[in-house]
Amino acid sequence: MSTTSTTMTSPRAPQTPLSRFATLQTADRLLCGVLIALSLFALALGIAYGVAMALVRSGLLAPAPDTGYRVLTLHGTTAFFYWLYTAQAATVLLLAAAEKKGALALRGLAWAGTALIAAGFVLSELAAIAGPPLLYEANPELGTDDPRTVAGMTGGYLLLAAGFALIALSSIATVLATRRQADGGLSALGFGLLAWAGFLIVSAVAAVNAFLPGLLWASGFGAFPHAATTDWHILFHNLHYLPLMATVLVWYALAQDLTGISPATGTAFSKIVFASYLVFVPPTSLYHMFLEPGLPESVRVAGSLLSLFVSVPTLIAFLIVVASLEIHTRAGGEGGMRARLRRLPWDNPAMANMGVAILTMLIGLAFAFVLIQEKLAPLLSDTMFVPGYFHFFAVGTVTQSFIAMLAMAVPAVSGRPLWRPRLLCVMPWIVLAGLLLFGAGGLGAGLMGVPRRVVDIGYGGEAPAIWRPFMAMVGIGGVLFASALAVSVFGVLRSLVPGRRGLAAAAEPHVAAARSAAAPAAAAWTGPLAVVLLVAAMYGATIGAFELMQSLPVTAAGGGAH
Amino acid sequence: MKLEIVLMLAVAAIWLALALVYALVPGLDMPGYIRVWGIGALVFLALAAVLYRARRNQT
Amino acid sequence: MEPTQLESKQHLTTRRGFIAAFGFGGVALYGAWAAYGASPLPFTHASGGHAAHGTAPAKAPAGHSGHGADPLMTPDEFLRRHEAFLARFRTPDGRVVVPAAAAPEDAHADHGAPQPHATHGTPTPPPAQSHAEHAPQPADGEPLDIYLHAFRFGFTPDEMHLRAGQPYRFRMLASDVSHGASLQLGHASRIVRLRANVVSEQTITFHRPGRVLVYCTVFCGPAHDAMSGRIVVA
Repeated sequence: MSTTSTTMTSPRAPQTPLSRFATLQTADRLLCGVLIALSLFALALGIAYGVAMALVRSGLLAPAPDTGYRVLTLHGTTAFFYWLYTAQAATVLLLAAAEKKGALALRGLAWAGTALIAAGFVLSELAAIAGPPLLYEANPELGTDDPRTVAGMTGGYLLLAAGFALIALSSIATVLATRRQADGGLSALGFGLLAWAGFLIVSAVAAVNAFLPGLLWASGFGAFPHAATTDWHILFHNLHYLPLMATVLVWYALAQDLTGISPATGTAFSKIVFASYLVFVPPTSLYHMFLEPGLPESVRVAGSLLSLFVSVPTLIAFLIVVASLEIHTRAGGEGGMRARLRRLPWDNPAMANMGVAILTMLIGLAFAFVLIQEKLAPLLSDTMFVPGYFHFFAVGTVTQSFIAMLAMAVPAVSGRPLWRPRLLCVMPWIVLAGLLLFGAGGLGAGLMGVPRRVVDIGYGGEAPAIWRPFMAMVGIGGVLFASALAVSVFGVLRSLVPGRRGLAAAAEPHVAAARSAAAPAAAAWTGPLAVVLLVAAMYGATIGAFELMQSLPVTAAGGGAH
Repeated sequence: MKLEIVLMLAVAAIWLALALVYALVPGLDMPGYIRVWGIGALVFLALAAVLYRARRNQT
Repeated sequence: MEPTQLESKQHLTTRRGFIAAFGFGGVALYGAWAAYGASPLPFTHASGGHAAHGTAPAKAPAGHSGHGADPLMTPDEFLRRHEAFLARFRTPDGRVVVPAAAAPEDAHADHGAPQPHATHGTPTPPPAQSHAEHAPQPADGEPLDIYLHAFRFGFTPDEMHLRAGQPYRFRMLASDVSHGASLQLGHASRIVRLRANVVSEQTITFHRPGRVLVYCTVFCGPAHDAMSGRIVVA
């Protein structure tokens, strides 16, 4: 793997965020290593369940319905909750430790959090394996015959929430103990970590709000949680935003490490962008509920309008990061876009993963915006359209970004170089190919009404025949991206096993040397052009959905409820 | 540091305002939103207070 | 020490205002919504310029926009009316045939209706013959009431015969857990979500004859796959 350094450095080269992983103390590396291993184990398991699900949905496997829905439950529980939130716990802690350049604060609390997450993982998995399938939201309605399953799954989630809240507290204490900037403030990344950790704590509160009533009812201490659906939507919205906020923070750090350039827009602007994530969370939460009967029309309308702003912080962060990358490529000499693109360090697995993550985010956004229009919700909600687009985010964007960061962090944590970096550079592109196939199949199937959570879509021969080929694409694409992702997971896990020098020595992360001299003012048109293309794609997807809706041989009005 | 405190206070204010909207607007019968956005406002207020304390300790 | 920032004399594309403005790019989608009459702001609805694009996807017939159009209906009341509906329109072979010309259901529901009960899928004995053919005409454009009961793992009625062009007010109840009562319409579907013990209502007009698959799109348990019915539009 190459170390990319394209510009002049001074004898006292400044440090980029991830290069500071080398300064992690042994005890902190052990803690971070355990969290990383736990998260990757959850991801590996989630991938295995996902492959099984892809085969089932494509019709290649035909298990008993109970088994099919149990696997679906396990896939969601493992990949969505335990991978994404353990990975976030590991990431916030790693970046906070790197910010401080010293020992983690409240390390004992962080260890306790790790233990709670592990306990929650075991409890949720066992409950999901042993009991009736409740799907990953642990729906108490479906557990009335066996409340123990509801208790096990919700209990596990509450332990997970408590665990990541404790780790967030440790991260906040660590960031607050960092050396301050010249103005006495935190670095932009430090402030972003603080905001993210605060959001993690709030999401733990949302988890308590969503799951505690179910746990109390299932344990015989409370009434049936009739508001479970609404409370799940609140948590679910937070859980949408959190990984995206984590992703842009990872990109922000990676872009500096891979190019040696700090963002041209400055520290204060970056802090405002990170804070804006929190500003946009509550007002944009209603679009998940558009199909709920009884939601007042005025709320649907207001929800649609406010949801237009859902991508604002992500797009601004995207523009900042892409500008940094472009300026880096322009500093390498003249040439067209292709020549400039080649100057990015694609031979670094972190860059390959981040590049694919950025691409998939744009693809996912184009289709996600179809669902924020309340008039289109009856066409697409609860169909395969939803997994068709969200895997671009969950796998392509968020998971690949975490893999990118781990590719930088793990050598520092374990003291061992990254396993087969060339191979790991190829995997993200195979993931992208698989996602495109999966997404095309899922989006197409969803537009035709294939339900997202039905194991056998035959309906006694009454379902349209065209559903099958689309679901076959979902199966093939899913197996393809899952296989490539599994190789990446193996590579990172393999590199996590301590080397001969053991934990006492840290390997240097492969980062670009930071620039100590100012680069000339350079244009950065790629980001704005990408936004223009994105808006055009959003228009295309939305107009296509409206046209399809209007072509239906039915007129329907009202989603009223009494 | 001053900017950081202002930003956290702004976030807390918006979350609190949303919690109040859910609490006061008739027809929005979703108490979960009041709890989560309200407690969230308190969390970000606490972070603003911690930042303020850190600033005072520095000076 | 942080990496050095770029110099202050920046290109337009790296200036804060420019980046912030492009960050709001997604908001531009409002234009597409407005073009299809789905924009939420009042002035676009008032413009009256949407006729060329067709009606909004879920445009309500006057007076039947859903919320608040009817007084509160409890699940028990729904079940009572549902039984009356079945008793009125079920044919001896078990299908439910609702012709375009039918009397307002209340005229029948208020007398001689079977007693409400909470069990699912217990069909009432079919009447000797459907009353429908002798029913008086409803007012022009007035929707006819349909009662669809969703339960684990089926619908009653599971086969309905309706008429194209006639608006029907579907009143639906999921009486045990949440269900879907979505309609597969050939090249696409209309998704309907039902919450447990909440009576939902949609006014639906089928424009073309054909068979419509009614299927559950909210996971409701092990036999979720099998939960389907059909509407035959004549």
